[in-house]
This record gives sequence, C-alpha cells and structure tokens, in this order.
Amino acid sequence: MDEKIKPLLANYLIAIGDDELILGHRDSEWCGHAPILEEDIAFANISLDEIGHARLWFELAASLLGEDPKTFPDQLAFYRDWDKFRSIQMAALPKGDWAFTMLRQFFFDSFENLRLEGLAESAYPPIAQAAAKIRNEEVYHLRHTAAWVPRLGLGTQESGRRMQTALEALWPFALQLGVPLAGESELAAQGLVPAADALRHKWLEIMGNAMQEAGLAIPEIGVPAVVDRSVQSEDLRQLLLEMQEVPRQHPREVRW
Amino acid sequence: MGAPGLRGLCQTPGSPGGIAVNMSDTQWPRFMVFQQMEAGQAFVHQGTVHAPDIELALLNGRDVFVRRPNANAMFVVPADLILSKTEEEIKSGWEPGNPETGGEAQAYLVFGKLNHAMQSEQLGDVQAVSPQDAMKKALQKFTDRVVHMWWVFPAGAVLASGDKDLDSMFKPVLEHGFKNQANYPVITMMRQIKSKGKLED
Repeated sequence: MDEKIKPLLANYLIAIGDDELILGHRDSEWCGHAPILEEDIAFANISLDEIGHARLWFELAASLLGEDPKTFPDQLAFYRDWDKFRSIQMAALPKGDWAFTMLRQFFFDSFENLRLEGLAESAYPPIAQAAAKIRNEEVYHLRHTAAWVPRLGLGTQESGRRMQTALEALWPFALQLGVPLAGESELAAQGLVPAADALRHKWLEIMGNAMQEAGLAIPEIGVPAVVDRSVQSEDLRQLLLEMQEVPRQHPREVRW
Repeated sequence: MGAPGLRGLCQTPGSPGGIAVNMSDTQWPRFMVFQQMEAGQAFVHQGTVHAPDIELALLNGRDVFVRRPNANAMFVVPADLILSKTEEEIKSGWEPGNPETGGEAQAYLVFGKLNHAMQSEQLGDVQAVSPQDAMKKALQKFTDRVVHMWWVFPAGAVLASGDKDLDSMFKPVLEHGFKNQANYPVITMMRQIKSKGKLED
C-alpha cells in the first residue's frame, strides 16, 4: 500500500472505531437500568460488542501506523483528549429514554451494516476480514433494534409519542452518519472503503421505509446538525471525563 | 433487513395456538427457551424469558442464554401452551379428560426431566388431537426411561432459529475471549495495593 494512504486509512478506521466506542459506552449506561431484565442483558451484550468492534478497528489502525496493536487501542480510548476524538456527535448524546436509545442504535446499526458490507469487499484484506467478523454481530444488533422500532412506534400512544420525539431530536445528528470521512473519496477510489454517497443514499431510502412502517414522520431537515467530525461536543467531554477517569488516575498501575 | 411484522406490543402472537395477552397485566407473557448445543443433540430446556411476542422471545432467549456456552439452535414456545405432569401426578392415577376431543391431529413435542439435577430434554414427538391426548400418547410411547416431569406442547406453536441464523446468533460467541474471574484475584490485588501502595508485577 502507498505510504501516503496508510495514515488516511488509519484515521478512517479510528473514526469508525470512535463511533463504536462512544456509542458502546453510552449503551453500557443502561446496564442495571433498562426497562426489563431481558433488554438489560441484550443491551449489555450490544454494548460489549460495539466496544469490541472499536478495539478491532483500533488494532488495524495500529498496524497501519506502526504502533503496537496491544497497547494502541487503550491509548486511543483512555489517554486521548476529547477534542481528538472523531466520533459522530450522535454517539455521545446522553442516553435519554428507551425510545431514544433504541432509535439511535437502529440508525447506527443500519448504517454500520451497509458500511460493513462495503468494507467486507475492501482491497485491504485485514479490513475485509475484520468487517466480515463484525458483520455477524451487527446483523444481530440490527435484527434486535429493527424488531423494536416498529413495536415502539406502533405500540401504544405513549410509546409512539416518545419515538416521534426521539426521531425529531436525533434526525439532524443521524444525518452526520452520511457525511464522508476525511480522505474517504481517495480511499474509496482505491477500493479500500465503500463510497460515502452510495452508502448515504441507500441508508436514507431504508430509513424512509422503516420510519413509515413504524408510523413515524421524519422531520424535513436535510442538513446534518454538524458536519465536521473534528467538532466535538460537551456531551463527549463529559462522557470521557468519566470513562477515562480511572486509567488516567492510575496510569499503568492497574491490570485489566 | 428482515422486515419485522408490525405487531403492537400487546397483540396475540401470530403462531398457531398463540396466546392472548392480558392487557391489564403489566408483565409480559412468559416463553420457555430450549437450546441445542451441537447439531444432532437433543434440545434442552434452558429457562424462561418474558417478551411481548414470540419473535422478541427468541431474541431475548439468545441474549440471555447464548452468551455462553455455545449453541447450535434455539426455539421458544409460549409457556402457557405447555401441558405439564409430574411423575407423582401420573402415579396417582392421572387420566386425560376427553383426550380425543380437539381438532385435527398435529405434532406435539415431548420433553422429559430424566434427572432432578438436569433440565428437561426432548424425548421425541407424537401426533395428537389435543394436549391431553399428546400426554397420553407420550406416556405410552416413551416407556424406557424414568421421567420425573413430562411436558407436551404443539410443534406448530414453536418459533425456532434457522440455519441462516447460525452466523449471527450463535457463532460470534465462540470467538469471544471471556474473562475468567479466576484471573482477577481482586482481594489479593487490593491487599497488595493497601500494604505496598501498588500492585506487584
């Protein structure tokens, strides 16, 4: 691979890994607090899966950057300042109610499944292999959230109202999923990652149908609330203060 | 994406013999979860989940019971559709009341608890016109082992995972490195930190 491409690809992987890590952390906040025991366990599973995916992408980024894949993921997760994260702002939004959490997860899982389909065809074999592995779990996440969204949307008046409220709050942030990542067109031209435009169009079409089936109306907003992934939110800063607190207080002292 | 059926939270599951849900009860109905560890092995009862309908019961069953150990297949059935008889009930002269009344003959799955320390496992199936009839036929058919508790329920009321679900429902767990709690001697570690101010290498 061209030496100039390596850092671009590594940054792409770190960005999608950041999405997984931050969303996984938010999902973990439901542990012990979900509305029913079975869903509590299901979301703890999803949370662990997402954080595991982040680690896989960070390990691949490490090998591209000549870093140690054993230590680099922890470096990125626990010793990186909040303004260096490249996650979408939707991932860091406070967990809200169950409708909000379920819909956010559904938006993310649907987009991620499309991206993983593309990454499974990557010209860089380690990415194709990781994508195939991650996809098995994401297919299941999507089945879970795709089952819940229409049930909540059409369930009771209250569940439908909460879902519509969540949709209106989330939609402008969800649109950031479709914004091309830095260097994405160059990486796509080399067959390393899927083209952002095609992903976005397909995702919007699927979301349109899914929201209609769930009795929900997508707000007429076409512009993402935020475009640039280097612009991070106070929500992320607060999340990292908590997530990074223990490792930063005891660097290298605690074995996990 | 598999389009989910657009069922409300409290509607009757669409499977044959689906149960009606009591709308005034805030607890979801119960489903029994059965798991097959390896291809070819008998299905074994794993436990119970609550779910608003049978599709989510299957997903909940996977999430609650498959994280470990491994599984090859799983099915769920509404708990209310299981006819259950203990060894004592059978010995004290249980007789099926009007077992022949019912609809067309259909397949019933037969599960038996063979050991007090073990979960019920599948013994086989029978063709019967009613749960009572199925129990009677099961007692006549499976006579070679001591069964402490019998369960029969219609095969048509079951929702099972399919071959296409293997990769997404059951395989990922095999690649997860689960942390063994024995590797985390927390009490020893805390003693070291308290006495020496840090962990020994």
